[in-house]
Amino acid sequence: MGQNEVNKDFDVIIIGGGATGAGTARDCAKRGLRVLLLERFDIATGATGRNHGLLHSGARYAVTDGESAEECIKENMILRRIASHCVEETDGLFLTLPEDDIQYQGKFVEACQRAGIRAEVIDPKEALRMEPSANPALIGAVRVPDGAVDPFRLTASNIMDAKSHGAEVLTYHEVVEVLRSGSQVTGVKVFDHKTKATKSYYADVVVNAGGIWGHRLAEMAGVRVNMLPSKGALLIFGHRVNRMVLNRCRKPADADILVPGDTICLIGTTSSKVPFEEVDDMLVTSKEVDLLLREGEKLAPSLAQTRILRAYAGVRPLVASDDDPSGRSVSRGIVVLDHAVRDGLEGFVTITGGKLMTYRLMAEWTTDLVCKKLGVNATCTTAIEPLPGSRENAEEVNKKIISLPLPQRQSSIARHGDLAERLSHNTPVENSLVCECEEVSVGEVKYALNELDVNNLVDLRRRTRVGMGTCQGELCACRAAGVMSREGKYCTRRAKEDLASFLNERWKGMRPIAWGDTLRESEYMSWVYESVCGLNMSQKQSE
Amino acid sequence: MKFDTIIIGGGLSGLVCGIRLVKAGRRCVIVSAGQSALHFSSGSFDLLNALPDGSPVECPLEALGQLALQAPEHPYVKLGVERMKALLAEVPAFFAGAGVAVEGQGVRNHYRMTPLGAWHPTWLTLKDFFCCGSPEGKLPWRKAAIFNIAGFLDFYAEFIAGDLKKRGVECSVHLFNMDALEHLRKNPSEMRSANIARVFEKQENLERLGEILRDEAGDAEVVLLPAVFGLERADALACLRRVANRKVMLLPTLPPSVPGIRTQLQLKKYFQDCGGVYMLGDTVMKAEVEDGHVVRVYSYNHGNIPFVADDVVLATGSFFSQGLIAEPGRVYEPVFGLDVKYPEEREQWFDLNFFNRQAYQSFGVETDGGFRGMRGGKVLDNLYVAGAVLGGFNAVKEGCGGGVSILTALAVAQQIMDKRKIG
Repeated sequence: MGQNEVNKDFDVIIIGGGATGAGTARDCAKRGLRVLLLERFDIATGATGRNHGLLHSGARYAVTDGESAEECIKENMILRRIASHCVEETDGLFLTLPEDDIQYQGKFVEACQRAGIRAEVIDPKEALRMEPSANPALIGAVRVPDGAVDPFRLTASNIMDAKSHGAEVLTYHEVVEVLRSGSQVTGVKVFDHKTKATKSYYADVVVNAGGIWGHRLAEMAGVRVNMLPSKGALLIFGHRVNRMVLNRCRKPADADILVPGDTICLIGTTSSKVPFEEVDDMLVTSKEVDLLLREGEKLAPSLAQTRILRAYAGVRPLVASDDDPSGRSVSRGIVVLDHAVRDGLEGFVTITGGKLMTYRLMAEWTTDLVCKKLGVNATCTTAIEPLPGSRENAEEVNKKIISLPLPQRQSSIARHGDLAERLSHNTPVENSLVCECEEVSVGEVKYALNELDVNNLVDLRRRTRVGMGTCQGELCACRAAGVMSREGKYCTRRAKEDLASFLNERWKGMRPIAWGDTLRESEYMSWVYESVCGLNMSQKQSE
Repeated sequence: MKFDTIIIGGGLSGLVCGIRLVKAGRRCVIVSAGQSALHFSSGSFDLLNALPDGSPVECPLEALGQLALQAPEHPYVKLGVERMKALLAEVPAFFAGAGVAVEGQGVRNHYRMTPLGAWHPTWLTLKDFFCCGSPEGKLPWRKAAIFNIAGFLDFYAEFIAGDLKKRGVECSVHLFNMDALEHLRKNPSEMRSANIARVFEKQENLERLGEILRDEAGDAEVVLLPAVFGLERADALACLRRVANRKVMLLPTLPPSVPGIRTQLQLKKYFQDCGGVYMLGDTVMKAEVEDGHVVRVYSYNHGNIPFVADDVVLATGSFFSQGLIAEPGRVYEPVFGLDVKYPEEREQWFDLNFFNRQAYQSFGVETDGGFRGMRGGKVLDNLYVAGAVLGGFNAVKEGCGGGVSILTALAVAQQIMDKRKIG
């Protein structure tokens, strides 16, 4: 590849560093295409990083949308194989509470079986023994193969594999213009947020995998994709109260899924339409918090006494069917749009709709289309070949890093799978802990800085969980900023600015639930950072 | 249990108040739940660094007029200029008497260096800490050597060096290691300030470090170290200076704060030496009030055996110390249910930007002009309130947390003495 970035040519440019974009980059690269992936912020910052992290069995959709349910269970089984280090096989229970109609259970089980989802009716007493946190008032329970998936890890792992197959990945590169020559898209113009430079990249096909932001990307290309931003708010609790995923056995509604993940659990979601102007800055309201708590406590009553760590919201990119301009008929299925066929615009493909669960299938369909356009004949292997991190079993990895302290060994294998092996050469000083809640060592921070495209503390949090634990970055943020500045990642002035934005970002999630211990923690953070450390936010930054 | 005064809360405010009263001959008990804000102190106490509107304050006493206009409920406004002046004059001798040596006075703020290498105005700074009269201009040295322990992540030598260089001081940064510190490395979460400080309680370890400083500091005139010395011994720095044969000064670390813990231990010891009773690890649960008068107080450890006293001082701190409790719809003071002023709408408690003024930080207990607590608008005649549990000020934005704790504690003690005609 040439040195002059401006003229660099690719077969395909993929816009969007969520799971779908990352998966498409992986698939395209594995099929031998020259790939460029562009992401305006960090990977997994849109809907990918702002959902339940639920490894759907498809059961939730079985009654209402059989096709989605079938896709889900197939991909569920594939992800267990190819992304084992991102998945926790917890199984799930669909609970019928006294206020729910027990008749629904029969319909539900039947629909699951039709879709190929193992669904087993469990005696309520047995269900409580399996999952002691479940509401003891339950009158029915069905066990399904739900699980937990870590979307950050999944996306990062896809990116890593794409890169190892020659893909180029540029984060903090925002597309500002889609370049056209007549009715042919030829490339994109991007703004590099780090260097503030504008550059152009060219390719035969441009894939729009921008999630809700794909609406705007399509507009830039001169076509219209009718999207409906739908906000979903969630709460993260500081303890993992449930072992299995808990759902309500009724028609899907607000706040009826409780998913365990790592050391925490999540309740969600709400669902409300929001205007496009708000999609970049989702704030969770007191009303949403109250609703999530009220409904969450019905699934697991102990949530009432469990500390909430933070609240956040994502935006689902719902797509209105093409034949219904009013936008009332919304599909949650996968939507691949070949704009050559649909709008007469060659070289532009939009992939949207779908869900985190089906990201790989979405990527496969998109890559099939891209290959067809390029006249490339190559088969998809992403359903068979494991992702980096999932290629060796945990016991083998454990042996390789046996010199690390036990808790660090466990948490780094959980976070990085077989890639934890990179930490085997940690020196005693590198074993020092940056983050006590999540057992993140100096060595792991260094690994993330050097190999996982980390530009700031928020990026680091996504890759290592620094600042995600009960303290929400109380002291570890400062330590991590210190390590990053010592490693030459940035100067001390930038380090302080970065620390300030990290804290402000954390506050965004703490503010809606700032009472009890969370308010104590917030007050403490204010004292430590503002009073003791004298940290503040420059005028420029807060704008 | 019968005392003259019960003090609820064993942090800075409770201890200052207690010491003042026992020295005047009152029989006092302090009931303390454990840690206090002193455990993450910067090594300095702030008096007043800014007004509520954000304008900076250099001479706190001169700003009191403006403060009265902008924050009429501020504890300093209740104290009034004359009382403030008198109390301020007492403070340095008060601390010296208790064995806590401080520099500074209330007329003009000086500047301390923060763990992130920024200069912050302040009132009193513990001895041995690096501070100066102005955040700009030359410092008295040409060359400084900053030392840190290898693997200690709560001290930021590079940040500090960056700022000193701006002020014309040449800086070198050194990492050191010692056999005595190795055991802390075995468990990676042990490498924290208070644990390191324990290692340096031992004479031989201090001397070994002194030798390292002497051998490696080159021609630097001053050695700067993280504040991980002198947990229980006051002569740690003197010892380092003697062996290293040069000036050695301290800079603050992230919490836990060794100088803060030392101050707490020292004040507690002094209070006990003067005859006070300090009950550690107990929490006052409830109180009985009759005719606007606190008659009995009950603690967790003592169950239904009441504490009885002429006067009660509430110095339980803010939210962090659980002197105030916030629930989704309300804020309350848990022991007496004293009046607390706050807006009903939860969203008005906060600003979206973490670094802006946060309304919740000014919430607190309402009092009359004599710092007596109120319930349902009525004064409780023998319940005094001191320190961070008070309302009407913002310790972070106004930089007045230390001052409010110390001065209201002294004022409350004075009032009790005046009422009981002692001292």
